[in-house]
Amino acid sequence: MIEAVDTRAKGLRRPRSESVDLTAFLGRLDWILLGAVAALVGYGLWAIGGITQHDIPGNPGYYVVRQGVYAAIGAVALVAVVFIDPEYYRRHKRVIYVGTLSVMLLVLMAGTVSRHSKRWLDLGFFRFQPSEFGKLLFVLFLAGFLADRARRLGDSRTVLQTIGFAAGPILLVFIQPDVGTAMVYAVALAAVLFVAGTRWTHLAVLGAGALAFILTVLWILPSAGIHVLKPYQQSRLTGFTNPSSDPQGATYNVRESINAVGAGGLSGRGPKGATQTNYHFLPEHATDFAFASLAEERGFVGVSILLLLYLLVVWRGLKIVSAARDAFSAIAAGGIVVAFLFQVFVNVGMAIGIAPVTGIPLPFVSVGGSAMIANLLAVGVLEAIHARGTGPRRRLLR
Amino acid sequence: MASSGFRAGRSGSNRFLPPDPRVEEPYRFTPQLALRLGILGAVALIVFGILFFRLWALQVLSGPQYLHAALDNQVRSIRVPAERGEIFDRNGYPLVANVGGTAVELSPADLPKTWPARLAELRQLSKVLKVPVRQMLVEIKARGNDPITPVTVRESVKRDAPINYIYEHEEQFPGVRVVPTFLRSYTYGPLASQLLGYVSEISPAQLKSLRKYGYQAGDTIGQGGLEATYDRYLRGQAGLEQLTVDSLGHPRSDLVLVRPQKPGESIRLTLDLKLQRAAENAIRYGIGLAYGNRQYQANGGAIVALDPRDGSILAMASYPAYDPRVYTGRVTTKRLAAQGLTGATAKQMNYPALNRAIDGVYPAGSTWKPVTALAALETHTISSSTELPCTPDFSVPSQYPGFPPQVFKNVDPYADQMMNLPTALAESCDTWFYRVGYDFYNMPPSAGHPLQAWAAKFGFGKKTGVDVAPESGGLLPTPEWRKRTFTAKTDPNWRIDRSWKPGDSVQLAIGQKDLLVTPLQMARFYALLANGGRLVQPHLVQDVVEGGGGRSAPRVKRRFIPAAPQPVGLDPTALAVVNDGLFQATHSSIGTSQSVFRNFYPSIAGKTGTAQENPQTNQRDQSWWCGYGPAQSTEPPQIVVCAIIENGGFGADAAAPAALKVFQQFFKSSTQTTPLGSGAATG
Repeated sequence: MIEAVDTRAKGLRRPRSESVDLTAFLGRLDWILLGAVAALVGYGLWAIGGITQHDIPGNPGYYVVRQGVYAAIGAVALVAVVFIDPEYYRRHKRVIYVGTLSVMLLVLMAGTVSRHSKRWLDLGFFRFQPSEFGKLLFVLFLAGFLADRARRLGDSRTVLQTIGFAAGPILLVFIQPDVGTAMVYAVALAAVLFVAGTRWTHLAVLGAGALAFILTVLWILPSAGIHVLKPYQQSRLTGFTNPSSDPQGATYNVRESINAVGAGGLSGRGPKGATQTNYHFLPEHATDFAFASLAEERGFVGVSILLLLYLLVVWRGLKIVSAARDAFSAIAAGGIVVAFLFQVFVNVGMAIGIAPVTGIPLPFVSVGGSAMIANLLAVGVLEAIHARGTGPRRRLLR
Repeated sequence: MASSGFRAGRSGSNRFLPPDPRVEEPYRFTPQLALRLGILGAVALIVFGILFFRLWALQVLSGPQYLHAALDNQVRSIRVPAERGEIFDRNGYPLVANVGGTAVELSPADLPKTWPARLAELRQLSKVLKVPVRQMLVEIKARGNDPITPVTVRESVKRDAPINYIYEHEEQFPGVRVVPTFLRSYTYGPLASQLLGYVSEISPAQLKSLRKYGYQAGDTIGQGGLEATYDRYLRGQAGLEQLTVDSLGHPRSDLVLVRPQKPGESIRLTLDLKLQRAAENAIRYGIGLAYGNRQYQANGGAIVALDPRDGSILAMASYPAYDPRVYTGRVTTKRLAAQGLTGATAKQMNYPALNRAIDGVYPAGSTWKPVTALAALETHTISSSTELPCTPDFSVPSQYPGFPPQVFKNVDPYADQMMNLPTALAESCDTWFYRVGYDFYNMPPSAGHPLQAWAAKFGFGKKTGVDVAPESGGLLPTPEWRKRTFTAKTDPNWRIDRSWKPGDSVQLAIGQKDLLVTPLQMARFYALLANGGRLVQPHLVQDVVEGGGGRSAPRVKRRFIPAAPQPVGLDPTALAVVNDGLFQATHSSIGTSQSVFRNFYPSIAGKTGTAQENPQTNQRDQSWWCGYGPAQSTEPPQIVVCAIIENGGFGADAAAPAALKVFQQFFKSSTQTTPLGSGAATG
């Protein structure tokens, strides 16, 4: 099978006409999505500027400048990815899979430990977080794997194989430990299976299995004395269901976060008046709890703008799924969009006390280079799929 | 416009994107996929719907409430301790003052949020301050639902090295502050310690009952003595400062004074510092005399000096005493134990916290005889000229037929003569008073119990209501009391014990058996003898003053008016006869304490008492003396002194010389060295 792919790969290089029709290609891009993402990045930078302006004394722009540089790098990467045909990923899915696993193993062996977790590779100038890029690569690999078995999707073996391949990266992220990102991976797996067209019965069994697994890890095993999760992880995951249980301990973050969000009111307290943020009552206000800070400083109006931009991105993403050229593109786009939606929901939900506390960053807003670049790359893949898809082109041609 | 590449891609047969042999059917957008996309779209809408709904509820509907919580988060209220009022003696000498100190306070809300970090900080603090971590945790826990009021970990008069260390390394101790505070300073150490009391932080139980009077957690409150009785004058009102802090408790704003503190009011006592000191020394002197008489169990005592004209207490000494300075700064069990202030050591140190002058109860002994005399004169049992025999013993026929008579002995076994009341008082003849007591017993029931009735009029059997606690009322035995007290439940011999027998009346006549009095009650009775039959209200505080101490003379702000002395309805001639007896007791050659007082000027009248040994409680004779001066003078008596030396033997041997020391200080004179037998040369 691999040989067949290799021979056909030569075909990619032959037409020279693609670059000639650059303007036509640009016309096929989803400019609404690009505009929404650009607005999100800009809005995120503006928000971070307000949130972090008291963090480094004497240097209010420290985080904004860094984040801006990452956004610029991400933008270049996005443009580059748009020109790569998604088919290329499908053909090289094995390289992608093995590469992802290797880097994650490298993290476990040589990673930098920060706050009890080993998630980063220190490259000197940049702390590289492979699991962020892994989200995209993981989806691309699974999409390729399922697309190749499009006819056998109803087969439970295919489903089990997919889960088997997915288990590797999920486990490697879980033991970093990074429960939040592992959850994103699991949701992405569910999304690709769903979009690929796995049978409803299989999906139902998988759903029941996932529920049983969660109950086992969080409830049954701990009551039997076996602790899969560390106590702090456990209390963070379950604490949001009872926020007043331990105000000084596990739910402190959530309580202060809700205070911050609520205190923002309709129009916010501004970067100067946001005491929850500026006096550090709100922990991790530039990263995990960036949403709460934004809510405190900019109020309901400010977060509504952000959420509407997210909604716009999700809507365009789903449209891209519908207009995909082939199964691989559709599945990949579906996985990317659902993973994105999940991250937004869990991060915002955590800040307002309706989702467990996990270290999932807020896309395009939370300070962090890897996440920013990886998210822009994912948008690039969506654009690449869109440009080669059916829907927009049909409209363009007529 | 369209490039061949894209078209080729669509057809699926172009060389740009050749068909995949594994994909046998060309891909198409199936209804199935459309359905699933529709589901995803719906999920997305629901997710955003939930987020918007929750954000609307949080920010718009409950926004003000959370804003309030956020503002509370950052505001720390800081108590500004008010300087407690001072306590002066009658001449303006400060007995209790304040001294500036330093306190290390913990704000539980600002301690690290995680348990390991919190414990680490407390450990570090414990190492520096030498305060056990456990104690800090207990105190933090005691604050419970009030994380704002700081816990005082340690107070110190001096700003010592550990406190300086904390002050200089404040960054390492979030939630810990070094603040100025006021500490009590006891100018004369143990002087009048039981009387003055001490202060400490309000206890949870006290807080519960006193919260309605404006007390708050962390308040300093008087614990016992005058500090407790007059707490509402002395305490003042703590001020309030507010400060903005960040999550680590580091200040983010300047202190803003919300409510200025109100210093407490100072009080001025009726107590005379010099007389008090003389009285305390006098007890020790009396104990020393008792030792000289081989009364080696003498180990405590009390002296009360009273102004008979208005009930002002001039001195109130109780021995042993403790040093109240153990309650300043860090109070440790070890320091308390060394002063006999813990349950384990109190007995061994003979209860130094007990104010024997008002809370110690003793049989009155012969100092009681004037009570019997007055009651007998008033009921016409005897008259001023009645002569009764003073015999070596006195027999009472038994109530039960066939039993031998009950015999009560006189102290002097050789006495055998007829004598009148003044002589009987002067010589303290027991059998003379036994007869009077037996007469009381033989009175018809219609007469009631005149002896007890008059004793009650003189203030016995109930608290005097002096303005310091705790006070005991003593015990004035009556037939009703016997019936009430001795019941089948409490006493196996209740059938016998519950009835009032001749012996009860006979012994009550000389202040023995069940009778219990406090030294203050006795002093008040002798004041009544001295002031013409009026019962005074003993009191210790005369006014609320401003200033004073080293700064200026105290200025009176408000005067406490004591209840006016109440006439009890005594016949002046009866009083004159008794006072004549008391004068003879200190001046006539047969007087029991004439050797002590005969040569003192101005002249003193008074009565000794030797309350009898009680084998059950391992007590020897209690040595009593009560009296007043000047007696038989143109001037009215100015001072009553009542002294008791526990286990001190004869009244004349220990208590009377001790009382003399107090008179000496009061009249600023000393006994004249005139030869014995030359009579009252000076008066």
